[in-house]
Amino acid sequence: MVTKEEIMKIAILSKLSVEDDEIDKLTKDMSEIISFADTINNAADEGVEFDNINNLSNAFREDEVRPSLDRERILANAKDSDDGCFMVKNIMK
Amino acid sequence: MIAKLHDRLVKKEISCKELTQEYIAAAQRDNAELNAYVTLTPETALETAEKVDEKIAAGKEISLLEGIPMTLKDNISTDGIRTTCCSKILEDYTPIYDATVWKILKSQNSVLLGKTNMDEFAMGSSCETSYFGGAKNPHDTGYVAGGSSGGVASAVGGNIAVYGLGSDTGGSIRQPASFCGIVGMKPTYGAVSRFGLIAYASSLDQIGPITTNVEDAAIVYDAISEYDSMDSTSQGRQGAPTRDTLGNDIRGMKIGIAREYLEGIRDDVRAAMEEAIEVYKSLGAQIVYFDLPSLKYALPVYYIIACAEASSNLGRYDGIRYGYKADNYRDVNDMIKKTRSTGFGEEVKRRILLGTYVLSSGYYDAYYKKAQNLRGTIVQSFRNAFEVCDVILAPTVPMTAFENGHAVSDPVETYLTDICTVPVNICGLPGISVPCGSDSKGMPIGMQLIGNSFCEAKILNAAWQYENAAGKFKAAVFGVKL
Repeated sequence: MVTKEEIMKIAILSKLSVEDDEIDKLTKDMSEIISFADTINNAADEGVEFDNINNLSNAFREDEVRPSLDRERILANAKDSDDGCFMVKNIMK
Repeated sequence: MIAKLHDRLVKKEISCKELTQEYIAAAQRDNAELNAYVTLTPETALETAEKVDEKIAAGKEISLLEGIPMTLKDNISTDGIRTTCCSKILEDYTPIYDATVWKILKSQNSVLLGKTNMDEFAMGSSCETSYFGGAKNPHDTGYVAGGSSGGVASAVGGNIAVYGLGSDTGGSIRQPASFCGIVGMKPTYGAVSRFGLIAYASSLDQIGPITTNVEDAAIVYDAISEYDSMDSTSQGRQGAPTRDTLGNDIRGMKIGIAREYLEGIRDDVRAAMEEAIEVYKSLGAQIVYFDLPSLKYALPVYYIIACAEASSNLGRYDGIRYGYKADNYRDVNDMIKKTRSTGFGEEVKRRILLGTYVLSSGYYDAYYKKAQNLRGTIVQSFRNAFEVCDVILAPTVPMTAFENGHAVSDPVETYLTDICTVPVNICGLPGISVPCGSDSKGMPIGMQLIGNSFCEAKILNAAWQYENAAGKFKAAVFGVKL
């Protein structure tokens, strides 16, 4: 069972806002999903250590200088930019 | 179909421009009903077609995929062509680089008709969480195309694209292929580069082909399974091109049936499976039954791991560098919260919240850690299964396509329909769905062949042998008639 308070806390961690008219339905949905997830929590099987798929290891490559993406094209996707920078509101007063 | 069209192009029975125009016209006409495409790219398609015609006219050799009209799921990045993940948050996002799979296909002059519909961020099983509304089933538009790669399956099943690439995190290629009566393959994790695929759950995601037949799936898989230095989990295809092995004798091949896969599936799906078993027996394959008790953990393990990874991957959408940005905010934190809350749809928010929950302090061990350990158990049990069989035969979905609107009403019930597809992703194995019949309403039934890691050739050949022996299934009514 998940409480409304827990949902609110998780929403803050997720940087999502939950409106008053959404909270009841969301709590109900999340409770159902969590109790479904709980079937593994109740499993007697402890499982075995899992570290990766198909025994993959990181495929490292040399860190060579290569052409990079074009700054103007990158900034073209931003809603606010100025002088080659992304723009946000003041973070510090 | 691809080889046949290639032949007609080479023999100059049809020009690439004519072929492309046929597909563009059919896509523009039938999309009103199917809603398969979210973006059409007729100008670039025709430009590419003209290039191919020039090559043919000059007597130059063209590759199999050259000049073949195709599509990409809208989470595969295309330089200069908007890529939305069918989310409001990326509605006007235009990538400035190509995904590796598209880079490969573009270099072979593949004719991109447009980008196709999907569940928002690939989260869903009906395509109905798409910001642009769901794609419809080409066999009956009262039913969904499936998801998440519903748009590709709808376009290929409705023949308004010859083939397409989808992505499969928990069944998103195989399930819509099954619903639309076509072929879809999820390759081994690492066989196809994920660079440029907009991430949902990175340890589960894999790009693969959606085609009308098995040979086409082999052709497309062979083309895209290259090692890529831009993906740190890339290994590329192991062994010879899979198309060369199609038609190999399967006498003595051990086809495994896990009893758990046949539990809780609809009677008509079970009957279709039993008929498929008979077909394999008649081809000389040996049927081996075994138990896979860890399968009961597969769904919760999948949802916990997928949502945990999604909550991290989707942390990047903040409205600053690209995508939707909310108006009227107090400060940066408020801007990010408002952007995410209005930019993401309901299902995406639910999965981010679930993922954050299972990773949060106090719950991490009980959910995420436990799920990872049980993932290890499931991997081990599949390894054991491949000691006694060569391939595993299972249903793709326990039922056939849902009616429109059905999947959205109950999230947990909808999650349960992924039971037959998620184990393949949990274990990083290859799996292919092939049509094997239809239900009383004429909606297609699909079956799935699962192989050991990097054994794509084996499942493709087993699928090809079945397709060859069982014959053709009902084709949908839309699209190009050539």
